[in-house]
Amino acid sequence: MKLDWTILWGDPGLLVLKGLAVTLELAAWSLFWAFLVGLLFGIVRWLGFRLTEPICWFYIEFARNTPPVVQILFWYFSASYILPEWMFRELRDIGYEFGAAVVALSMYHGAFIAEVIRAGLNSIPKGQYEAARALSLSLPQALGRVILPQALRVVIPPLINEATALTKNTSLAMAIGVTELTYQYKHIDNFLFRGIEALAAVTVIYFILCLVLAGIGKAANTFLSRHISRRAATATIISE
Amino acid sequence: MHWDRVWTAANWERLLVGDLFNRGEWGGLLLTLTLGVLSIFLSTLLGAILGVMRSSARPALWVPAMLYIQALRNVPLLILVFWAYFVPPAFGLNTSKFTSVLVALTLFTGAYLAEIIRGGIRAVASGQLEAARALGMGPFETQLWVVLPQAFFNMLPALGGRYVVSIKNTSLAFLIGLAELTEIGKQIGARLMTAPIEVYLTLLMIYFVVNRGISSATRLLENRSRFNRLFLRV
Repeated sequence: MKLDWTILWGDPGLLVLKGLAVTLELAAWSLFWAFLVGLLFGIVRWLGFRLTEPICWFYIEFARNTPPVVQILFWYFSASYILPEWMFRELRDIGYEFGAAVVALSMYHGAFIAEVIRAGLNSIPKGQYEAARALSLSLPQALGRVILPQALRVVIPPLINEATALTKNTSLAMAIGVTELTYQYKHIDNFLFRGIEALAAVTVIYFILCLVLAGIGKAANTFLSRHISRRAATATIISE
Repeated sequence: MHWDRVWTAANWERLLVGDLFNRGEWGGLLLTLTLGVLSIFLSTLLGAILGVMRSSARPALWVPAMLYIQALRNVPLLILVFWAYFVPPAFGLNTSKFTSVLVALTLFTGAYLAEIIRGGIRAVASGQLEAARALGMGPFETQLWVVLPQAFFNMLPALGGRYVVSIKNTSLAFLIGLAELTEIGKQIGARLMTAPIEVYLTLLMIYFVVNRGISSATRLLENRSRFNRLFLRV
């Protein structure tokens, strides 16, 4: 078994970089939509309307308890039956693997983020909301200006965990042929027979991606909780 | 909707046990559950060892454990499955599909469980450990009989969540062609061609029922006396 690492400076290396670009794009779009879905469902569940509760419960439990890769297959293969025919014809010509993967990943991780957001909202004392409403702030104002700014701070660490999980789960999109990192590894293995080198490179890239995300999370957390350490410092000064 | 074409007796048989009765090759839900239960069992063992190592004060113990946890948690499981399946043959080792997925899944989940178990160990009051040591129990005995049983009870919710993820993760096996539930579903879908919604909804429903079952089971165990009766015989 001879390993030739120099091949990574040739065409395989370029393929891996192309895959990295697609992975990043896929992760960014999915994260964006997953966050919106999670925010919406998290807030609606926190408000606890009796009418929407069963729907929200069903969506969140169903999405969280089924494998993401099966969800990807579901959205990809069902697209021709779910979408109107003209739209499907348009999409078929430009390829809709990427879109299907974005939909599946954002629905899957949106459910997790919804639970995170709801937990964050629950961690804010009810009095904050009641006080805001008593001061005649409307519901959106109370949410947007009083509750969410406090809650979002609390949920940064679990949200970063979700972002890392989502980035790792983008590798599942190769099941429907999205040309992301893992797909490019298989491609290099199949056509250039340099599987091990490519796999090692791809592994290292994923590892670095996850570490960078964790680093961003840590930085965001320190930045957003400055006021807490400041308050702690004030408290020590007072107690002294 | 063509539910009648998807929900035939033959299709259900393949979804549940694969080709066990006509070719002797088992698969489907049976294989998914075997894979899931085996990997849950092995990864809990691995996670307990790593978790104890990680919460030790000796660098010789916690540094390797931390490196392992960091390395495994920051790589997609699919990549680990490929490592376990495509790389050993290059060095003359032939691993079966089942073993590859089992090994990858166990190593991956072990890293996550180690962190959960470390948290559980930290939550056990330190007086418990000191009392056990004062009574003359060795460090190993203390962990096994005093700290870990209490830790396991505290982290049941987190463990249950992780076990559900393990069952979900067995679905990746279809990407190397192991005939578990997802692969069988995909084959049925490919054969019918006209009923993808029904086929994949069926798959999702089966996974949903199994995973909800596991969550409910852990919730039952969160009753202290029931847990003690089942696992500690007190």
